[in-house]
Amino acid sequence: MARFLLKRILQSVLTVFGVITAAFFLVRLAGDPAVLLLPIEASAEDIERIRAALGLDQPLIVQYIRFLGDAVRGDFGDSLRQGTSAMALVLERVPATLELALTSFFVGIGLAFVLGILMRMTRVRWLRELITWIALGRQAIPLFSFGLLLILIFSIWLKWLPTFGRGTWQHLVLPALTLGTYELALYLRLFNASLASEQRLDYVRTAYAKGQGHLKVLLRHMLPNALLPLVTVAGINLGLLLGGTVVTETVFSWPGVGRLIVQSVSQRDFPVILAGTFLISVMFVIINLLVDILYGFLDPRVRMT
Amino acid sequence: MPKFNLSQATAVTLLAIMVVLIIIVPLLPGYDPYKQDLGGALLPMGGENFRGDFYLLGTDTLGRDMLDRLALAGQVSALIGLSAVMVSLFIGVTLGLIAGYFRGPVENVIMGLADLQLSIPRVLLLIAVTAIIGPSVTNLALLLGLTSWVAYGRVARGMTLSLREREFILSARTQGSTATWNIRKHLLPNVLPQMLIVGSYEFGMIIVMEASLSYLGLGVQPPLPSWGMMVSEGQNYLALAPHLAILPSIALFILVAGFQFLSQAFTRENELELVA
Repeated sequence: MARFLLKRILQSVLTVFGVITAAFFLVRLAGDPAVLLLPIEASAEDIERIRAALGLDQPLIVQYIRFLGDAVRGDFGDSLRQGTSAMALVLERVPATLELALTSFFVGIGLAFVLGILMRMTRVRWLRELITWIALGRQAIPLFSFGLLLILIFSIWLKWLPTFGRGTWQHLVLPALTLGTYELALYLRLFNASLASEQRLDYVRTAYAKGQGHLKVLLRHMLPNALLPLVTVAGINLGLLLGGTVVTETVFSWPGVGRLIVQSVSQRDFPVILAGTFLISVMFVIINLLVDILYGFLDPRVRMT
Repeated sequence: MPKFNLSQATAVTLLAIMVVLIIIVPLLPGYDPYKQDLGGALLPMGGENFRGDFYLLGTDTLGRDMLDRLALAGQVSALIGLSAVMVSLFIGVTLGLIAGYFRGPVENVIMGLADLQLSIPRVLLLIAVTAIIGPSVTNLALLLGLTSWVAYGRVARGMTLSLREREFILSARTQGSTATWNIRKHLLPNVLPQMLIVGSYEFGMIIVMEASLSYLGLGVQPPLPSWGMMVSEGQNYLALAPHLAILPSIALFILVAGFQFLSQAFTRENELELVA
């Protein structure tokens, strides 16, 4: 176990290192970083001053090491628009993004769970088909289209929920439904497959033989076993959810990191873009690491590989 | 006899609608996606302006014909999607074949690169890079292509691993043929059909990615239209003229669902499991 842990942690550190390196070369490849890091209105003297301040007159390797050191400390410079530390601006937005991502995560698993049980319990064939088709159809609608569809139906026509912003639980419903249902088809297929494979096992037959009802066998006996694959895949997808928050936050004007990054792009605020991208990538790597470790605990076979 | 297959039939129907939209519509007389008419702006579907011109899908905020806009945007998306798929297919197949054929450190480096790329959310990577190099159709197609090679690379490597032990490769090697020759003449033709299946799946994903970037204002730039950008423009008129946002969404849905069913039909026929 210790070796598995060590290997995974080392891999994660290497990844973060790779991300920083890629960011460094990207900014350099795109041209003079001093120009990128200053507002368009900046004068030639301003550019010279920032060149000296950033050490851009020094050899590339010195610049790289310096960039690496700053990045590790989360220092990407000051926001060009706000004048305060870019990382601080990004960190302010993290709770909103986490709130959205985690709620969507549970909405996704919860819906797959309820619909999966429903599909298992019902004898009505068309209902099962309908659920599968709806989930497949949902998968073919991009996040922003689905978000707007929900706004149109629930905010504009029915006037039940607010169109944008954050604050009450009502604000959270539509964004979480938008993001949480994206992978529903995958979750449902997985959940159904694992329920079906449990169904064939002896312990299920024994439970039925004892005279227990269909629902009780399903909930008490099969469920704990069938849920593991679902939770694992959903955990792996938690990282993808993080990427999806960028678009979802923009649709609903949700004040998270993703929206901040998109706004910073239109304002050409590079320190904030770099800090935001770096932070989400690190969160992504950490989530994947945690899911892997958790899975290693739950299923010992994983550790061998 | 081939049996009737629901996913095949759905794929054909959806893609036929797309062909009509992006190939037939531009051939119609009076096709002009740029012509503005502020007097006839925001016409609903089936509306007429004061001159009595009929607009099947209405007009947008500048009075431009929605049907023509949708058609041109579809051409743009399809072009970006196709170029991106070709770029990523080329990179992915090359790297995958090299990794699978040579094994050893080369394989470790290539697969490590794949892992590294998957460890950053793709939207974010694309946003950061476009922010730096600037958005344009060419950049978009290149970037989408450069960031989508992993699926091809993994499948190509997996297939090569088993193919390289087969007799026809062994006999070629004992006769002294070079690695380049083996890869090009023996491995590539065997791997290519499967790559096209991956491509049909990836095409839909790339279209969605392009639409998302354009929605965020980082993809296709005006005056060229794009479905994602049209949705974003329509968002402000959701109550007044919902067709502005809904029509491009439907177009996206038809295209993406069409390719989803197409790759599903392919997958069943070839009994493959696609790894996304």
